[in-house]
Amino acid sequence: MNTIINYLDNMFASLPKSAEMRHLRDELLANMEEKYHELKQVGKTENEAVGIVISEFGNIDEIIEEFGVSLEEDRVTNPLLTEVEVEEYLNTTRKSGRWIGIGVTLCILGAAMLVLLLGVIENGYNEISSETGTYLGLIVLLLFVAIAVGLFIYAGMKLEKYKFISFEGDFDLSMDLKNKVRAKKDAFQSTYMIVMIVGVILIIFSPIVLFTMMAFNENTANFGVCIMLVLVSIAVYLFVYFGNVYAAYEKLLRGKSKRTNEREEDRVIGAVASIIWPLVVIIFLISGLVYDQWHINWIVFPVTGLLFAMFSGAYSILVRKD
Amino acid sequence: MISSDVIRGYNDTIILYLLLEKESYGYEISKRIKELSDEKYIIKETTLYSAFNRLLKKGFIQSFHKEQTFGKKRTYYKITEAGLLYYKEKCREWELTKEVINRFIKE
Repeated sequence: MNTIINYLDNMFASLPKSAEMRHLRDELLANMEEKYHELKQVGKTENEAVGIVISEFGNIDEIIEEFGVSLEEDRVTNPLLTEVEVEEYLNTTRKSGRWIGIGVTLCILGAAMLVLLLGVIENGYNEISSETGTYLGLIVLLLFVAIAVGLFIYAGMKLEKYKFISFEGDFDLSMDLKNKVRAKKDAFQSTYMIVMIVGVILIIFSPIVLFTMMAFNENTANFGVCIMLVLVSIAVYLFVYFGNVYAAYEKLLRGKSKRTNEREEDRVIGAVASIIWPLVVIIFLISGLVYDQWHINWIVFPVTGLLFAMFSGAYSILVRKD
Repeated sequence: MISSDVIRGYNDTIILYLLLEKESYGYEISKRIKELSDEKYIIKETTLYSAFNRLLKKGFIQSFHKEQTFGKKRTYYKITEAGLLYYKEKCREWELTKEVINRFIKE
């Protein structure tokens, strides 16, 4: 049966992917399927059945003439992805999404650890001086960041192989495969929505924890910040991981024309991110080490996060409008 | 086996005849053609659907969706008033064609 589906998809590969053609393809497939099963029932072998069905298909030129479809102009024949490749792509993005998510979480947790350590010292468990504590915390932070960078590089290398899908979009999917991917995406949609809502709730909820704790006891500010950062890091993990999986489905389903704009958009946002975030870390470290503002300077992370989200959101909308 | 070139002008007539019997869908029609012609004419899928498209555009048939017993949605076709008139006209045309061509046929 797969031979028949492949045959049909190859026949339709050069035709425009309009709703009319998709519908026609589905109708033809249903007929061929029925014919195939009837042939199998009367005792034909797999090969015979497939052979007869295909020989009775006819000539796709007839369809082109009768339906007056124009073959897509300047159509670069992109390679058709196989089902195995699609599976692998989805698996790889899932895995690297997990690694990137863990990396980002580690960065935030590193900062949380630093704040926590300072809090512990401030609250009188001062077997260690606050200076040693600060350096200890910094070491933990830098260690976590180092691991995170390692994870980013690893995930990036894994994804490198699939650049032609994620960035260039030089591929096509057979209609059958497209339907399968679409079905998977639809199945994933509700999980994705719930997770995104949970993430947003966590983010909104996190400062409330901090303020409540501070209202009861001034001294717990550091622990409050720590819990807040942990909540934020969980939310960020959810955004990164599930966002990655979702984006992978979208990239598989999207047409090439739509993708060029988005590519530009991804590049600009990526470039800004790669400048902004290290800059924020530098500001965080300098304000802490030089001006000793550890108690408040963590705020640069959530503030930058919010500003960055606003920027990328606004930028996407502006670019897409054109 | 009849070559598709010879029969080209009469695919529409054949399909309309079958739709006069009852409304039907792609595979059923191609199966009926095969049966009624004692397997001497097997219509190709692409020919069948080109004909459907042509007949739809001329308003000789109408399409509609129908759930089949095992839950699959199929496009069904039924003949219209205009389709019936066209069919009758094609029948007369065939009578004439047959009469003329027969004069040139030697056993």
